[in-house]
Amino acid sequence: MRLLKLLVPVLLSIILIVLDTRFSYLDNFKKITLTLFSPIYVIVDLPSQVIDWVNDKGADNEALISENDYLKGQLIELKVRLQTYNNLALENQKISKLLDSSYEIPNHDVLLARIKSIAQSRLSKKIVIDKGSNYGVALSQLIISSDGAVGQVTQVTPMFATVRLLTDPTQFMPVKNSRNGIRGITKGMASTEKGMMVEYVPLDSDVKVGDLFLTSGIGNSYPSGYLVGRVTSIDDSLDVSFLSITLRPAQNMNKLEMVLIVKGKND
Amino acid sequence: MTNSNHFFLLVKISIIAFIIGAISLPSSLELASPFWILSFFSYWLIYSNGKNIFTSAFILGILLDIIQGGVLGQNALALVLSSAFILNVKKSFFVSNLTTQQVYIFLGSVIYLSVFLLVHQLAQGLNFDWLILLSPFTGAILWPLIRSLLAKLKQ
Repeated sequence: MRLLKLLVPVLLSIILIVLDTRFSYLDNFKKITLTLFSPIYVIVDLPSQVIDWVNDKGADNEALISENDYLKGQLIELKVRLQTYNNLALENQKISKLLDSSYEIPNHDVLLARIKSIAQSRLSKKIVIDKGSNYGVALSQLIISSDGAVGQVTQVTPMFATVRLLTDPTQFMPVKNSRNGIRGITKGMASTEKGMMVEYVPLDSDVKVGDLFLTSGIGNSYPSGYLVGRVTSIDDSLDVSFLSITLRPAQNMNKLEMVLIVKGKND
Repeated sequence: MTNSNHFFLLVKISIIAFIIGAISLPSSLELASPFWILSFFSYWLIYSNGKNIFTSAFILGILLDIIQGGVLGQNALALVLSSAFILNVKKSFFVSNLTTQQVYIFLGSVIYLSVFLLVHQLAQGLNFDWLILLSPFTGAILWPLIRSLLAKLKQ
């Protein structure tokens, strides 16, 4: 009898593992249960919210004025840079028309979100953000930050969304070399020190250490043109068909505080 | 203790385990941290005479999988199998000293970790950070602390 009591949950667990890894029948069940249990996220995040609130209230006037001055300076600098960028964009449009090219500079609608201090499964590299389906966040949207692409939305509840980082071994993203357009697919690495590798780049391809890889937008799953990482090493052993390229992510995943959710084209 | 008391103790213990497990730590600490749900559930299993142990372990494991965004059934299978081991040594827990109890918790954690990694390997390939292998040790080291804290909660 005791063996039967043990066997039933064991078999049920195995069935659930198979169903969850091979099919998506259980996604709705997971979403509803996670929504019901999201108060746990709120409780866990409460101390950091209190600390933020205390810091905000406790910040003295002088520090806020100096921070404001610094940010105004940054804003002016960025506006100046944006003017150059706008000129380049116009120039690019003219050349594209002349060449009859379909290339467009990405212009997407984005939404700002804050990273929550909530841990996820220890073998996956995921983060939780404070925006969910109430704000129009949907599955598969690209997440970027100030320095480059961060990951992809994999789970959404009304208040929160889970983002799988580019450095997760199960996260794949189509990329291209910014120098010559050579395409590949990035895959995260489990070790925390290493970042990502680029797969399916043929052996004779022109890739150098220091090259930048951007999102390629192939398959229309992700918008194109966002920085993913820089090449740190290339292994061209002849016993394999493809180059083994290691990338350091453009964005330091340990220093993330705020991210942008790329929601779609801003027409 | 009545049946409803056992149940409420399990609910309290589980909520605390979920909350502690969801607290974000630096990545190396997070990998090496104990399997909180196993340590807390082991306490409930040993020090209360609750019924439906494997069903409770299964439900808690499923909830943990959902909260942590892992493969559904991964923690459930690991928790059910390690609970079976703890249940087998339950009687000797009461006559054992603290070190022997820590050894039992270590072995339970090793079973949990093995099942956890096996499912991970089957689902995603054997691609993990070696620091996770420290979690049975930290689980055993922190057992006296967990035990005394939960004893206060039980009173």
